[in-house]
Amino acid sequence: MDLRPEALSRATRGDSGSFAELIEPLLVPAYRLAAVMLADRDAAEDAVQEASIKAWRKLRELRGDVQSLRPWFLSIVANEARMTRRTRWWAVVKLADMPPKGSEDVAANTDLHQALLRLSADERLPLVLHFYLDLPLDEVARTLGVSPSAAKSRIYRAAKRLRADLTPEEVF
Amino acid sequence: MSDQNFRRDLNRVFDDVSGEPSPDLRDRVKSSIAQAPEARGPYWIAAVAACVIALIIVGVLFVANPLNRRPAPVGPGPQTTATPGATPSPSTTPTPSSAPSPSATPQSTLPAFVCAAGDLNTNGSQPVAFVSDMRTGSHQGYDRVVLTFSNGLPAGGIHLAPQAGTAFTASPSGQTLVLKGSNGILVVIHGSDLHTSYNGSIDIVTGYSTMVEVRRVEDYEGVVQLGIGINGAACYRAFLLDAPTRLVIDIQSAG
Repeated sequence: MDLRPEALSRATRGDSGSFAELIEPLLVPAYRLAAVMLADRDAAEDAVQEASIKAWRKLRELRGDVQSLRPWFLSIVANEARMTRRTRWWAVVKLADMPPKGSEDVAANTDLHQALLRLSADERLPLVLHFYLDLPLDEVARTLGVSPSAAKSRIYRAAKRLRADLTPEEVF
Repeated sequence: MSDQNFRRDLNRVFDDVSGEPSPDLRDRVKSSIAQAPEARGPYWIAAVAACVIALIIVGVLFVANPLNRRPAPVGPGPQTTATPGATPSPSTTPTPSSAPSPSATPQSTLPAFVCAAGDLNTNGSQPVAFVSDMRTGSHQGYDRVVLTFSNGLPAGGIHLAPQAGTAFTASPSGQTLVLKGSNGILVVIHGSDLHTSYNGSIDIVTGYSTMVEVRRVEDYEGVVQLGIGINGAACYRAFLLDAPTRLVIDIQSAG
């Protein structure tokens, strides 16, 4: 991530343009995280937009430097995705499985796809952070708000639900 | 499937699920940030005001008692209603635990036995539901393990996975635990713990013919995993009961 402490200082002083500039590189990872947690692309974009506003409003609560921004922002996005799932309409409306694109590779991955969608959003979260966004373990831990060993345990546990015979060495 | 294949396949699935964000997401976010006022106000004042208003409303409703209901009697008294299966009764079969074993439940109300992995949706509200009791019992056609939750159902759901063999991986240690029996079932309870309200045995060797052992595999970070060691096929049914809140798992037996 580009380190721009001046931009963070300006953003903390109330410059919304600087804040938008800071989080711009994080929008795609944030969208991916929300999309996997929600299995709904439109809802994921809404969650990222809402989380961005909340992050802007809570920017003064950010502890640490600009390197803390990514796990901090992703944790806000994850919370927003959780809140979206808790809304009444979400509980009532059946979650639609997103149809995979029509390639052979996708067909081969149908089982994995279905297994992933059977996981709860909170189980998908550590998998996205570790495998998809390729975050280092300490950032995964900070995003989840747990210790690195607990983050490791969550990643492994969720991965084992996708493939029962995985060993820790295969995951990390 | 090798490690690399697993990662590759999983990332493809992630790609399928998420796709790419729409090109206007960046502009949407930018404009919504520009329009959103930065948080400056003392929100705690609004929160205190909301609490005071809520207290006033509750007080008025309590005093006015618009539904004109009599207050419920406090202390022991005759029960006016009874919930089938709500109160555990002593078992007809001795159990390894000192408490009475879970009672048999009328068969007509129970789900069918299954031998495949399944999920039990708890619709629970507790981020961490405390297990306060874990008991076993043996009945005609099934052996039973019952977990009682002291504060409601776990919010995270319950997953049951039959497996060949009785080797379970303890978490977070990674140590392999081998239970008695020939097959097993892994029970994963998300949003629960087995140490706050529970001080009983975490490894129950039952002495029954079918469900021979129930052992804690994980009790960490709000996740409880139990391994069940079974002689014979790992077929089960699982359901929830209330008053008190319980998870019941029956292991199908020949007897």
